[in-house]
Amino acid sequence: MIPELGYFSLTIAMVLCVLLFIFPIWGAHTGNLRLMRAAPSLAVGQFIFVLLAFAALIYASLTDDFTVAYVAYHSSSTLPWYYKITSTWGGHEGAILLWLVMQAGWTAAVALLSKSLPWPLRARVLAVLGFLAVGFMLYTLLMSSPFDRLLPYYPVEGRDLNPLLQDPGMIIHPPLLYMGYVGLSVSFAFAIAALLTGQLDNLWAKWSRPWTMAAWGFLTLGITIGSWWAYAELGWGGWWFWDPVENASLMPWLVATALLHSLAVTEKRGIFKSWTVLLAIAAFSLSLLGTFIVRSGIIVSVHAFASDPDRGMFILAFLAIVVGGGLTLYALRAGQVSSEGRYSLFSREVALWLNNILLVVATLIVLLGTLLPMVHKELGLGSISIGEPFFNQMFTYLIVPFALLLGAAPLLRWKQNKAKQLVGKYGLGIVIAVVATAAWLYGSYDVVKPVTYMATALAVWIIVMSAQDLLLKTSQAGSMKRLGLSYWAMLLGHVGLALVIMSVALTSAYSTERDVRVLPGEQVSLGGYDFRFDGVKVIRGPNYTGHAGVVTVFKEGEQETVLHAEKRRYDIGMQFMTEAAVDGELSRDLYLALGEQLSGGAWSLRIYHKPYVRVMWLGGILIALAGFVVLFDRRYRRRSVKEAQA
Amino acid sequence: MNRKWLVLTPLAVFLLLCVFLFKGLFSDPRELQSGRVNQALPAFDLPDLMEPQKRWTNAEMQGQKYLINVWGTWCPTCIAELGYLTELRERGVTIVGLYYEQGYDPDFGDSFNLGDLQQEVTDMLNRAGNPYVFNMLDLDRQFILDLGVSGAPETFLVDENGTVLVHHTGDVNPRVWRAKFAPLMGE
Repeated sequence: MIPELGYFSLTIAMVLCVLLFIFPIWGAHTGNLRLMRAAPSLAVGQFIFVLLAFAALIYASLTDDFTVAYVAYHSSSTLPWYYKITSTWGGHEGAILLWLVMQAGWTAAVALLSKSLPWPLRARVLAVLGFLAVGFMLYTLLMSSPFDRLLPYYPVEGRDLNPLLQDPGMIIHPPLLYMGYVGLSVSFAFAIAALLTGQLDNLWAKWSRPWTMAAWGFLTLGITIGSWWAYAELGWGGWWFWDPVENASLMPWLVATALLHSLAVTEKRGIFKSWTVLLAIAAFSLSLLGTFIVRSGIIVSVHAFASDPDRGMFILAFLAIVVGGGLTLYALRAGQVSSEGRYSLFSREVALWLNNILLVVATLIVLLGTLLPMVHKELGLGSISIGEPFFNQMFTYLIVPFALLLGAAPLLRWKQNKAKQLVGKYGLGIVIAVVATAAWLYGSYDVVKPVTYMATALAVWIIVMSAQDLLLKTSQAGSMKRLGLSYWAMLLGHVGLALVIMSVALTSAYSTERDVRVLPGEQVSLGGYDFRFDGVKVIRGPNYTGHAGVVTVFKEGEQETVLHAEKRRYDIGMQFMTEAAVDGELSRDLYLALGEQLSGGAWSLRIYHKPYVRVMWLGGILIALAGFVVLFDRRYRRRSVKEAQA
Repeated sequence: MNRKWLVLTPLAVFLLLCVFLFKGLFSDPRELQSGRVNQALPAFDLPDLMEPQKRWTNAEMQGQKYLINVWGTWCPTCIAELGYLTELRERGVTIVGLYYEQGYDPDFGDSFNLGDLQQEVTDMLNRAGNPYVFNMLDLDRQFILDLGVSGAPETFLVDENGTVLVHHTGDVNPRVWRAKFAPLMGE
């Protein structure tokens, strides 16, 4: 009964969304305020009904209702309760339902927080969001309902959740990523609404900015945690694979990053207007494209989801309507926009323009690398594969100008700067970056490759320049307290990226690993640590059994820690899973994975020593924080105060 | 470039992309395209599995349309398709077996007993059906390599002029036959 109610509430939600699309768009077209005023209540209403539907699926999963096909395929009675909840987005149908919840949530949030927007703009933004929701709901109701029953013959036990997804990282990774993807639909809606009203002024950029920042923050956090999950769960210490599905999340992130910067220029200087609109359309389009890639099975990936051409057709058609429609509107309207501001070569405008170019080039590289194998094959030119070396090389080239620019740009003023003054501003930073990095690296390591040195120096350069900028801005403002939160957000984001660059450079260059055969009592050394294998003990979890290799770690004779590297076998699917043991410190990770049992009581064991790998995720979190900190900036707060009074 | 055309570029690029995405939906991403299709069959000169003194070359097969089926008794899928291939033979299709001996690697100095293998193959074909007019043994795998075989079973359709028309990876079953082979067999 409950699942049927879930399906029914989703149907109601879809009807509300159809109205949410029609009423305000018609109202805005004819100037009918009453129709436009209906939009916010409809937006909140559909959110409530989508939530009910989602609650129904969670209920079915928690009560082990294996008559529901989705629950039977993605859960089991022995699964811990929290994984029963997360299993509701562990499969295709549930993941799309989660997407709907996010979509509905963002729509409701926009409806509630946009009170000071002029009605024609507000109505159109909500109408666009309503339209997007209709597409996804139609898809869920017609092609991928998670509420379908397996009656009359249903299994007594479910097939269990894929063990790879039974990890805390997986509990939060998909929701965060979806928050980001879907959040970008708000920027998209603002852009489309601005094109529809024909007012591509600073105002839409100002309104769109906090939403874009929030969505981007979620996306950053989602990607960071996804990378952490891959590292902890896949058992071989990698943190980024250039897998098509990862690329699908990286592309919208790159474009959204460009969009953030471009929005700032448009808001403050009234230039780059049509470019910013295009970026807003592109960011969400790439989110949709990513979904299409993941969900259609068009590209082979480790994220193997069931592929179904009918579903693929639907998403492709939806993609064509949304993106094709958006770009058509752009082609019709953006040609008429003209820019006002003027600026010279050494100006912040040009720096941000270059930032955008580099980010877009990076996106195109990822897009090409991801889709070229498919295009190549469809052209009848044969199968090719593009892998890690291509992406790594391209990103190494791109990061150099990007990081140089990133360090320099915040100290540039709008409009123009004198070249002579710039030398004084940057001289110290360059010297510190070059000298300090050399002292640090040559002091700590025997071999320093040029690429490692360069990347580390770039990271140091960004940090030094950020510090210098902070001092300068503090003295200009009088005190640190006077600096706005958006300024702090910028610093956080930039320093976060510097940490990521540094971590990638050092961990790529100085990670060491050993694949050994060990007998209990034997000792192995790696990276200045001694690892004593104390043997294997049997473990028993709620839905798995397995072995844990116990390893005591010593540094210079002193015991550092004891690690348990597990190998689990899940009862239902009989899959083997490696649960790596990680001892993490900022300066290094010790990473142990238990291998196979060998003859004579020996086991194979893989040991990694990964310097500074943890700093990467710390950097990712700092970058994400930037997206959230900015939301508390005074200028957005003041608005909400005004709303409260109104 | 004129600004009007410039703003149209994103739409044009997107539409082009959609065409490929659409085509991609209906093709199997795991299927590799063969470099051999529409090329001449590579030259071979191989002994018969059952009578090693007899050798088979391209010249002997010239002038007829036939299948080359790469197989081995160690490969379960190959065994599974023997039944259907035998049915095809009964319908008049000429099928040549190209035996892939997996256990033997001359570079490692492995020993190899032809008599045992012949016995094993005979037993298997008696049990599961014998679709082959004859079997060739490619011990040093030169021909198998030239054909671009990535694993067994793989099946090639060769026409009267010695041109490869189809390179199929995986088992041949009624569905595959109808879709890939039958149109080119003139059935």
